[in-house]
Amino acid sequence: MPRFLRYLPLAVIAALAIVLGATGVRAERGPDDAWSPVVYPEQRLPLTFSHRLHLARGATCATCHPAATTSRSAVDNLIPTEAACRACHPIDRAEPQRSVAGAPPAACTTCHPGWSPDRPVARVYLTPPPLKFDHSAHVKTPCASCHGDMTTVDLATTRQLPTMASCLACHTSGSQERRCGDCHVRKLGGLLETKFPHGELVPRASGLGDAHGPRFSSDHAQEARQVGATCTACHDQSECVDCHQGVVRPLGFHPGNYLLTHAVEARRGTPDCSACHRTQSFCVACHERSGITTRIPGAFDASQPGGAFHPPGWATAGVGPNRHAIEARRNLTSCSSCHREEDCLTCHSNQPGSLGASPHPPGWRGSARCRALDRGNRRMCLRCHITQAELGCDWSAR
Amino acid sequence: MRRAVIAALALALVAIPSPAEAYEFWVRARSIGQAYQLRQYQLIGPDLFLGRRRYTQTIALRIVDIGDLSAERRQQRLPDRGLTISWQSYLRVDHDFGTFTSGRMTLSPSIRRDAIDVIPELAESTAGLDLLYGHLTIAGLAGDRVTVQLGRVLFDDGWGGSGVDGTTVRAELPGRLAITALAGLRVRAASPLGHHALELDGTSGAGCQEYVEGPTPGTGSWQLIDRNRRITNSRLSSDFELCPQRQVWQPTAGVALATSRRRGGGIEVGYRRTWSRTVGVFDGVDRLAYPDVGLYPNEHGQAPAHGVNEERLYARAHADLRAGSTVLTPYANARFSLLHAAFDRADLGMRIRRGDHVVEPTFEYFLPTFDGDSIFNAFSIAPTTDVRVGYGYLGSALGRLRLHGSAWLRRYAEAEALPSFAGGVDAGIEHAPSSRLRARADALWDDGYGGRRLGGTGEIAWKARDDLWLRGRAIVLGVREEDAPAYVTSSVVLSSSYQVSEMVALHVVAEGNHDEVSSTQTRVFAVLDLAFAPEP
Repeated sequence: MPRFLRYLPLAVIAALAIVLGATGVRAERGPDDAWSPVVYPEQRLPLTFSHRLHLARGATCATCHPAATTSRSAVDNLIPTEAACRACHPIDRAEPQRSVAGAPPAACTTCHPGWSPDRPVARVYLTPPPLKFDHSAHVKTPCASCHGDMTTVDLATTRQLPTMASCLACHTSGSQERRCGDCHVRKLGGLLETKFPHGELVPRASGLGDAHGPRFSSDHAQEARQVGATCTACHDQSECVDCHQGVVRPLGFHPGNYLLTHAVEARRGTPDCSACHRTQSFCVACHERSGITTRIPGAFDASQPGGAFHPPGWATAGVGPNRHAIEARRNLTSCSSCHREEDCLTCHSNQPGSLGASPHPPGWRGSARCRALDRGNRRMCLRCHITQAELGCDWSAR
Repeated sequence: MRRAVIAALALALVAIPSPAEAYEFWVRARSIGQAYQLRQYQLIGPDLFLGRRRYTQTIALRIVDIGDLSAERRQQRLPDRGLTISWQSYLRVDHDFGTFTSGRMTLSPSIRRDAIDVIPELAESTAGLDLLYGHLTIAGLAGDRVTVQLGRVLFDDGWGGSGVDGTTVRAELPGRLAITALAGLRVRAASPLGHHALELDGTSGAGCQEYVEGPTPGTGSWQLIDRNRRITNSRLSSDFELCPQRQVWQPTAGVALATSRRRGGGIEVGYRRTWSRTVGVFDGVDRLAYPDVGLYPNEHGQAPAHGVNEERLYARAHADLRAGSTVLTPYANARFSLLHAAFDRADLGMRIRRGDHVVEPTFEYFLPTFDGDSIFNAFSIAPTTDVRVGYGYLGSALGRLRLHGSAWLRRYAEAEALPSFAGGVDAGIEHAPSSRLRARADALWDDGYGGRRLGGTGEIAWKARDDLWLRGRAIVLGVREEDAPAYVTSSVVLSSSYQVSEMVALHVVAEGNHDEVSSTQTRVFAVLDLAFAPEP
């Protein structure tokens, strides 16, 4: 791989830092993204109404929604009843077509389109949002801050309800991990309630924390590692541990008969086995007990004709294809799922009796990696190089 | 005397009444039983079948607002602010009663030993009592800017998690930044209630050796430690195993600076270091024929006092951008191992979403690294680079049809005599015609280094009653591994979930596999799921 490519992610991180820091880029929500049908369930509003006209005639929000100043729950129904309309509209149910000169319209069909005397009035259905909201605590905040400019709106729908973005424009305090529960309903134990009769609450609006798609359960690494991920607002940590340090094979992740077919994926390391398994314990234990190693007498030993796990010439010194070196360079993790360090040291060591074959890459002495490892942990060096004279990376001075 | 102390304590507990606090808590208990057989391949004679009869009990516990410190705010429906104390833990008991772990092995006609003595790694599924995490969280300190976690805390840098027995402190800083500090002892298999999967990989799980000095300094050799140990004949642990370097404490410290509470993206940079002292002389000074210089060669003081097991810098960033009706989410993550002076992980990608369609190209780089004690670190290792493209159709808000597909190509830097590439494609469709029925089909093909796989999966889930889910899954896969003949395997999985009562569910899974190696193989397991949640 070209050397510059190794630094590409860092360069992108730096670029993103500059973009975010210098220009303060903020995600803008489109009309499709902002109003979740789970947070704001589908409404049925068989009404004709114009906020625009009422505000133009001098009405204020509190004129028709007086309870909004004292309401403490999102469940409260703040839509004005017919009684509130009567304050200005000379409604008379006994006279459905009533019209009073100089007064606001009073006919039933003014607000209830299609109404006829032989049918009941079409009902308004509003499912309360599964949110916590206290209007009385926001009484000093202008209504338009959350509900937008109502002077241009006729019938108000869920589009006139505040989005999460508008809430977070003011609510900047509080630790990150606790803020979800400020508005969303919690269930026992502190996690958010996500399942409702009208749907399931899943993150949809942001880019990475996007809807939990069909493959989310097996492919969520990027979502989980993103800065500010809010997974633990809805998920107990035990849900992660059940799979990642679990004792039951997740059926949706590993296909059936995985014991037989896992070698293909393990050899490639795709998916990343280390996300859940430790090769030097989990893999070694099973491989040895199954007899797929050379350590157990009677198992598949290379000395047994036709019985070796690896093909002939696998680890011959100086002759044969010596393919194990290529495989080890390519995927050492796969090797360590059966072999312990001691197996490698049989040949790759400076100890008496060993072949003294170097496992190091070309140019090892003096390389930055050699120096870093020697400086950080010389214990690993001492497994092969015993005397002081063999140790260290700087041999130019010797 | 001891009885008197216990009696006095019991009396004190009874005699000193205290007001009952109404904690809000959540418990999830799962009892899992698994029964299946695994094959032990025999070079001569028929293969043996070893039983796995695993019983696992897990208990996840959350206690919220210990002491009711936040009760008043809750009653006033005010947001969570101020001091609150909570507890989260996950405890697991796991044991395999079958012959796979608890049986014996014939090493020669006259020698039979417990399997766990021959393969000490099997101890990980024997009488396991693991505290996977368990910590007290004190939130709302310093004006709701500081959160402290104490106990066994899990951490993750994005490419793998581990845990420490210690503390993490997160502080919200001005400018929408947050700093998180971590300190403690890294969880190892040898830690109290420790779990092996949290330990760094690469060091031997068994067969540990010590340096035994020779007649003259520097002429010794590495030899197995266990030769003079007393045989305890324990069936639950290895009688021969002693790995002192794997039992020492691993102090760990880390710090991360990240953006916080910021919409539109986030950035984090972090550093983490784990180290351990070098084991010296142990288990008596007169065991060896020549002067014991310790676990490592040290006649000239060449063994370091401490060694680094892991030291990493990492950075990750993402942004949410909008171009018209398209949402662009570029992201990049990189990790640099200071111990290896090399990048070991990096990826770069962009999620492009337009309506319900998502396309995501990514580039990934990976160089295997191991625990600093492992000699694998000094081996010649070549990195891999992957290019992937994924597509997803998320359906509408409450959509019933969802699609996905992806393609990937991996290039191996080590290309000598082997395929330099591996790659594959997969695709799937999920359809939910009603809230009670969901069907899904997936297909995959991959080839190149590692082997070839071609196959598909069909799955159907049906909510037969309000308290009963039935699921079926069929898989057919053709596999051709290198140096081995091709074969076809098929598998059928049937499962049901029955909700016994509001807080109790029983899951039963049966799996049947058919292939040319095992002919037919059956596996059954059951899970009793108790999610006990009393009213506060």
